[in-house]
Amino acid sequence: MKHRVNRRDFIRTSGAAALASWAAGAPVASLLGSCRDGSFSKTSSADTVILLWMAGGMAHTETFDPKKFTPFEKGMGADKVLSTFDALPTAIDGIKFSEGLQSIGRVMDKGTLIRSYVAADMGHILHSRHQYHWHTCYEPPQTVAAPHIGAWIAKELGPKNPVIPAFIDIGQRFTVGEAEELKAFHTAGFLGNEFGPFYIPDPSQGLESVRPPVGMDATRFERRNQLYNDLISKSPVAEIASDYQKESLRRSMEQAYRLLNSPEAKAFDLSQEPKEIYDVYNTGRFGLGCLMARRLTEQGARFISVTTEYEPFMGFDTHENGHTRMVGMKKMIDGPVAQLIRDLDERGLLDRTLVVLASEFSRDMMVEGRPGLKVLEQVDQPDVLSDLKFYGMHRHFTDGGSILMFGGGIRKGLVYGQTADERPCKTISKPVKIAELHQTIYHALGIPPESQYEIEKRPFYTTPDGKGEPILELLNTGKNTAGLT
Amino acid sequence: MPIHQWAGITTMALSLWAMYASIQKAERLKRILLIAAVVSVTITGHYGASLTHGEDYLTSTFPSNKRITVDSPSDSLLSIKNVQLSQAQLQELNVQVRTILAHHCYKCHGPTKVKGELRLDSREFIMKGGKNGVVVVAGNPADSEIIQRVSLPRNHKDAMPEKGEGLSGKEIEWLRFWIREGAPWPEGKEKSLYRVASLAPRTPEIPPSSGAHVSPIDRFVNVYFNDHKTAWPQTIDDRTFIRRVYLDITGLLPAADSVDDFVGNTHTDKRGLLVARLLNRNDDYAQHWLTFWNDALRNDYSGTGYITGGRSGITAWLYKSLKQNKPYNTFVRELISPSKESKGFIEGIKWRGTINSSQRTEMQAAQNVSQVLLGLNIKCASCHDSFISDWKLEEAYAFANIFSDTILEINRCDKPTGKFAGREILFKELGKINPQSVTEDRLKQLADFLVRPEDGRLYRTLVNRIWAQVMGRGIVEPVDVMDNVPWSQDLLDWLAADFVASGYNIKDLIYKILTSETYQLPSVTVQEAEMITAQDYVFGGMLRRRLTAEQFSDAVSLAIQPVYPDSLVVSKLLPEMLSVSMPFARASLVKNDPFLTALGRPNRETVSTSRTSQANLLQALELTNGTLFNQTVKRGALYFKQTHPDATVLVEQVYRNALGRLPNEDERKIADRTLGKSPSEDEIQDFLWAITLHPEFQLIY
Repeated sequence: MKHRVNRRDFIRTSGAAALASWAAGAPVASLLGSCRDGSFSKTSSADTVILLWMAGGMAHTETFDPKKFTPFEKGMGADKVLSTFDALPTAIDGIKFSEGLQSIGRVMDKGTLIRSYVAADMGHILHSRHQYHWHTCYEPPQTVAAPHIGAWIAKELGPKNPVIPAFIDIGQRFTVGEAEELKAFHTAGFLGNEFGPFYIPDPSQGLESVRPPVGMDATRFERRNQLYNDLISKSPVAEIASDYQKESLRRSMEQAYRLLNSPEAKAFDLSQEPKEIYDVYNTGRFGLGCLMARRLTEQGARFISVTTEYEPFMGFDTHENGHTRMVGMKKMIDGPVAQLIRDLDERGLLDRTLVVLASEFSRDMMVEGRPGLKVLEQVDQPDVLSDLKFYGMHRHFTDGGSILMFGGGIRKGLVYGQTADERPCKTISKPVKIAELHQTIYHALGIPPESQYEIEKRPFYTTPDGKGEPILELLNTGKNTAGLT
Repeated sequence: MPIHQWAGITTMALSLWAMYASIQKAERLKRILLIAAVVSVTITGHYGASLTHGEDYLTSTFPSNKRITVDSPSDSLLSIKNVQLSQAQLQELNVQVRTILAHHCYKCHGPTKVKGELRLDSREFIMKGGKNGVVVVAGNPADSEIIQRVSLPRNHKDAMPEKGEGLSGKEIEWLRFWIREGAPWPEGKEKSLYRVASLAPRTPEIPPSSGAHVSPIDRFVNVYFNDHKTAWPQTIDDRTFIRRVYLDITGLLPAADSVDDFVGNTHTDKRGLLVARLLNRNDDYAQHWLTFWNDALRNDYSGTGYITGGRSGITAWLYKSLKQNKPYNTFVRELISPSKESKGFIEGIKWRGTINSSQRTEMQAAQNVSQVLLGLNIKCASCHDSFISDWKLEEAYAFANIFSDTILEINRCDKPTGKFAGREILFKELGKINPQSVTEDRLKQLADFLVRPEDGRLYRTLVNRIWAQVMGRGIVEPVDVMDNVPWSQDLLDWLAADFVASGYNIKDLIYKILTSETYQLPSVTVQEAEMITAQDYVFGGMLRRRLTAEQFSDAVSLAIQPVYPDSLVVSKLLPEMLSVSMPFARASLVKNDPFLTALGRPNRETVSTSRTSQANLLQALELTNGTLFNQTVKRGALYFKQTHPDATVLVEQVYRNALGRLPNEDERKIADRTLGKSPSEDEIQDFLWAITLHPEFQLIY
């Protein structure tokens, strides 16, 4: 293939390409047809990304962007209710979080609060479709399989520690409704399985994934590997034991054995954690996932996703009993997230670890979609609340949303963007779109904005057409313009 | 530029010093400095002129300056002076110039992006210029801004192109020559910049046989080998052959006894007979090839879209079609002009909500029909005029409109344009769609046009795919880009023509390939994966391949114990009779799972026509400690423990099952060391595991 590839990029990507591409249409790094302007040269401010995924649509008005609190009263008008919790102060002066998130509030001086996330317009809401968009930056369906952001990072940077898989995906089971839609983006897509997720559906069972099969002790495990190598070396079909497929097989097997035998594998074993710390994290699978994320970060993980898990009508996907359910969800996330930030900070890891907490969109009691672009309603929300179960944010709202970011070069104590204080509580300043958020993450990692691979002879960028500017203001290296307190 | 700059600075320094010397009345020094300044100003001027007029501005008019280079056959054009260019030369010059502009300029000055109000993708636009006026002054390269800008040093703020590498000296030379010649542009249709494979079928004459290498395929390959000074190697032995053909036709390992029988068979045409016999195992054949077609037609048993009714499966239809060896023209006709059973392919996947125009199901149909059936990528052109071919946005929409009840509004890069295309087939020579017909009739017309024998492309694409499946690499690669150069045009054309002549019979095609000496050459490999798709690839025999996820799973099922219970077979999606005709739950008939995914089964959200052959860490982890696989091997250990009390017999049986041979002395010793006389279940399990991970087990060689 004959394209102009600038030499720096060629050197950067050709190694990866050599590993990856094989057959027809395999992706090849290129700079063909880049529509982007400007050049890129910078060093990174982060090595590792931890994505804390609030699956199912987390209402900003009930979490990190509370509005006027209206306690429940039988017969109250739904349009009167903006938030169903009181707002309490955080470590940032003048910034309040919804009740139940005080622990996270106390570590907010270590990170940035974005209050102006705007999700895409994709018509009649389907959670998995918005999640697909959030994680890949592309709206489904796509003509080629779009890679998860974790796969892009795995591809671009490789593993940080060679024995720890570069893309680790904690907490999502694929036995739930919309499972197929979820699988469609928990993938490396055209980049190839090699960069795909290493799943740990249940962190309390995490060790299972990285230790010898059940019932096999270390000695036997080692002996098995020895037998394998001995048999190969004595095979009469020697010549087939020397080509690249065999090499890649043996290399991978060695790598797997190294991981399964390595001291790093202990990172997956949560029972090694002191009880008092373990207990802080132990709010269920999400909390333990945060603990595992910290342990893996200590051992050199590259990208880790920890999710509250998406299951239709469960978790943050509150179609009724929103208020009551949010009490539980906050308990699930508040302690572990705060502890994760503190732990990383105490260990000196937060400087190079970018933690992002986000959700596919927000929720509202009245508006489905966004003001002026309402879409087919999916929840019967009575105008007058006759029962507590109607008290909560039950509709899908795409015009506002909160994101937390910590570490990895992110400014401390910054509040970015704003939503309206009256319904519709939509973004009114500094809207953040998914491409900009992705580019900000890539920027922190030192991945150039125009990064792309050629698939089927056309360029496929990390963000569509390579568009979306990183929000430099969120980073320490960026210009200091607003919001610092 | 730096020389020009520094010489300029030097000139100024010398002049200032000379002025100082003059004030100080240092006449001698002043004179020396002035002379030096004159020299310096000359150098500055020379390099300045080089910048604006080209490095050869002084010598380009010398009669001896005719360049003869071998870089490009057409470089001799550049040396022509004061002679009227012929039409052919004009065409050639035009192609050169457009290639350069397309490569370096279109992305910012083309149909999708117009920076500085300048477009360079047609003569009209080029001559019109941009915001800053004209860029080309015909006959005067030096005054043409385009030449000035591309000649600037790369770090200059006005240098073009802004990004990436600049133009090479040769490329600038071409542009300058073109402008000096008056920036000519030939009349009429522009010659394509891209190679376009011919649509029409072609039946090359079969080369004469030299006695050896008799089959038509071998005769064509013989010519190819002669051209490439390749000697025919000895063909593979019976054991290797039977394993290959079993895996390629049925996806299964041959049973140990079948291998021995075959080796002992003395019939002269035993290989041909074996291939024919295997091709007649209709269910085994269908169960193997289902995987390939499921990938290509993105048919899956689970996946996005099913939950909201936005997708239909075609499994039953596909299975039956393969089992009956449905003629390929009928097969294609039924996909494009479908029944309820086969409509899933063109109906695509519809997600809830609004969809980008380039992803509408009608556009998906256009894209997938082009890619899978015609080896043609119109995905680019479904968003904007393609940068990699001559396909235009309008043509992609016209094709998509055939599948659509209403005429789609053309969107360029997801922005509505207010324009509408008609309804036309991509290759208009195949026939004219009646735009007034209802969709059902239009699809019928389209199907009829596409399967006409005149559509050489459809059949070349198919024979190339089948060839790639059994030979490890297509005659054209990538298999979805049929405009690329085949390593043997004659062989490709003949296979396609013969395929049509033989009644569109895929099994007949497979028979012809598998019984050729060419197929029976020893397998070859490459050092690096990219070499496989490289355009200068030299054919030397079948490329070694890894078993697909399904082949591997089935091989384990046969050699050790079934990987999947029968209950996991997607029976409801299959034709009824299937349950009786299946040796065990074949992996091609179960839903995708982490084990198959790790081994390379795609998620079939998009069409997929090739699989990776390299191993990776996630795969190795799945094999090393994955539950499904290790539990299977454990069950196998129990089975062998119960049925083979003698370790020697056990080892022999496992080798025969898995590798189709007995262990050699060394292997026996190793096995003996591990297993002893009466091995435990654990020891057997580890031995079985090591055998299934053995490259000899994992590869088709």
